[in-house]
Amino acid sequence: MNGTRRGLNRVLLAVLGLVLVGAGSLAVLAGSNQEIAQGWTRTGTELWAGLQERLAASRILGQDGSWWSVAGMGLLVVAAILLLCWIASQGGGRTKLLATRGDGDGTTTVDTAVASQAIKAALAGNKQVLASTVQSWRVKDGSGLKISLQARKGASPQELVAVLDELVSGLDALLGEEMPVLIRINAGTRSRFARSERVA
Amino acid sequence: MRQEAMIRRMGRRETHSSRAALAVVSASVLLVVVLWLILEGALSMTGNGPLLLAPAQLMHAVAVMGTATVPAALLAAGVVIGLLGLLVVAAAILPGGKPRHILANPRSAVVVERDVLAAAIARTARTAARLSPAQVTATVGPRTAQLRLHPSSGRAVDVDAVTEAVDKELSGYSLARPLTPTVSVAHHGAVGI
Repeated sequence: MNGTRRGLNRVLLAVLGLVLVGAGSLAVLAGSNQEIAQGWTRTGTELWAGLQERLAASRILGQDGSWWSVAGMGLLVVAAILLLCWIASQGGGRTKLLATRGDGDGTTTVDTAVASQAIKAALAGNKQVLASTVQSWRVKDGSGLKISLQARKGASPQELVAVLDELVSGLDALLGEEMPVLIRINAGTRSRFARSERVA
Repeated sequence: MRQEAMIRRMGRRETHSSRAALAVVSASVLLVVVLWLILEGALSMTGNGPLLLAPAQLMHAVAVMGTATVPAALLAAGVVIGLLGLLVVAAAILPGGKPRHILANPRSAVVVERDVLAAAIARTARTAARLSPAQVTATVGPRTAQLRLHPSSGRAVDVDAVTEAVDKELSGYSLARPLTPTVSVAHHGAVGI
């Protein structure tokens, strides 16, 4: 789990895809039809001539450029910043704080490491678990806890979930609140190469 | 109720692609183009020579591209760009499921990889059929689980018992989207296992 804005990704990708489809179909039409190709060049030349007139009319005194070019450059800079924001919005949202509670006298915070060490210690003796990772991420009011396990090949997910349920309810009692919990049971290279437990 | 909605949300996010990789690639490509345009604009405004193409030349080239380019090249480029656009639109619309399954749980969102489920039912099947690990292969799809048994030559396998054991194991997982198991036995027996 992280803070990726998935709706935004899909909307922007759809817009980009539609623009590409539009440009592609225009090129296909112009490539297959002489009239459309000539129409393209006619319209394009007219537009470019009009634009050049505009540029000449708004020349900056004593300089080569025009105010329109400056405005265009500004727009490009804004576009570049927005693209950087889009890239930066992927992922993120991780936090080291598991819980925070404050009243008038002060604030108590619990680190994710507390939950992490407790869960790792509890799973250390479990032969069905090869490795575990505990992370937390920010949600609307507080944090969510993600527990990832790497299961031994052939381990019953049901039994692993039963063990984790117990750990989570212990954590709930310890913290005094029920935070969102995500449990991921994964297979990985270690599951592939480690021996499977013959007696399960 | 709030917790239930949160669990459903987490399960959905973990089983579907965020399209982050495609978003980063598209944004990076666009960013390179925009930065190049800014650079060319700055060069031409300060009276320097262009890096590749001055803005005025670029605008003119786009304006007359319809007739200045060979029709076949225009056609080919159009097809490539259009297909690329279709792929991007498809990525935006299609759900993009990941090979993971959700286990229903009242407290936590539980997401299990298909390989884990496959290994678990393979273990169940081989215990029921009394086979060695190498004689059972399992694959789990979005809605089905396939088990292939390869018993030693001359030994029969009770398929019904295996199916029943796998069914029982699968129903114990309380999968959000149930899996239908199919058990098949190889026609040729294995020798030397």
